[in-house]
Amino acid sequence: MSAAPSAAVGDNEVARLFERRAASLDEFAGHAGTVAAACHAMAVRFHQGGKLVVFGTGASSTDALHVAVEFVHPVIVGKRALPAISLTADAATVTGIAEREGMGAIFAHQIRHLAAPADIALGLSADGNSESVLNGLLTAHGMGMLTIALAGAGGGVIGASPAVDHVLVTTESDPRVVKEAHVTAYHVLWELVHVFFEQPGVLGPAVVS
Amino acid sequence: MESLYPFLYSGSTPDLDAVLAEVRASTVAKAREITELRQLIAAQDATRLAACATEMAARFSGGGRLLAFGNGGSATDAQQLATLFLDPGPGERALPAYCLANDTAVVTALCNDVGVEVVFARQIAAFGQPRDIAIGLSTSGNSENLLRALDEAARHGLLTVGIAGYDGGKMAELDSLDYLFVAPSSSVHRIQEAQTTVYHTLWQLTVASLAGIR
Repeated sequence: MSAAPSAAVGDNEVARLFERRAASLDEFAGHAGTVAAACHAMAVRFHQGGKLVVFGTGASSTDALHVAVEFVHPVIVGKRALPAISLTADAATVTGIAEREGMGAIFAHQIRHLAAPADIALGLSADGNSESVLNGLLTAHGMGMLTIALAGAGGGVIGASPAVDHVLVTTESDPRVVKEAHVTAYHVLWELVHVFFEQPGVLGPAVVS
Repeated sequence: MESLYPFLYSGSTPDLDAVLAEVRASTVAKAREITELRQLIAAQDATRLAACATEMAARFSGGGRLLAFGNGGSATDAQQLATLFLDPGPGERALPAYCLANDTAVVTALCNDVGVEVVFARQIAAFGQPRDIAIGLSTSGNSENLLRALDEAARHGLLTVGIAGYDGGKMAELDSLDYLFVAPSSSVHRIQEAQTTVYHTLWQLTVASLAGIR
């Protein structure tokens, strides 16, 4: 093809784009303590019979689906299936609530009717300011659920919300780079929840902080 | 497994602090792993990523559309890929793109009536146009329904792009592929994370290339 100028897309540009991703991973590694605490808290909830409820809008809606399938149908043979649902799969309910009550209510409504106090809420927001994700987390927190958030662009209102028990903040604001950091974050959450889950001794009341 | 998490096999009383310390160390190691994988792909694929994006831009410029597909976690990547082109956000040019895993009526009908191996190929046969672009995502590179869809797409003249992991699997042997990008890792998770960067970069380079087409 000769329609486009090759100068627009050189090798150096590709290398630069890939290199750009490194800083958000270094930042994630710096939050290892939060990751460990969140994994432990999640494992305790699963151990007690809770399920994981995941939500996000736009690109993050696909991440919510990804997280759910990750837990329900583990890619690593021998890992136990854990209960998880995405609140972004039901277009009938989401569009129905959005039209009637507004976008801000799409996850809170589903959480009120599908979730239980023993459950875990995981909200993803690339800019940290998604109203529907924040409302979902607020509703979940009010019900007594464990609340976890992955938030980009410095965390926004979600990163600052006292309703969120564990938040992993990415400073990066490019939504594509944030998404990539989120994919690593939830893969690691999945992988490391199993470390606790396979050792129920650390999930008993005596060691739950 | 035992060497990774020895405390699980020690037989002694579980020590929460020790488990937390192991999990922290594992988190740091995994972050390093994905950054190294990205460096490897940037070195091995930069030229072909740029060439692929230039061809994609030419297809869009000629009225083509993007059809993306994959299974499981890769289905959600295909959805992300489609929405990235279709709804890229303020200040960015929206381009026609559709994910062939979106419609549960079509997918379950094809699975039930024919078989999972045709779920994407039949959709490409139904509405793929010669000027379109087909992108299939698979961690193994072996998914039968992707191989069939990419063959079908090539028969109709679509630009065909495969994104795989490990050593590329059966995708690496496919004559019908115009471009194959492989994330050379044995971890499904790190593969998917690197693939996300591959298709985000393809989008960014395609948009940049399109801006140069008057």
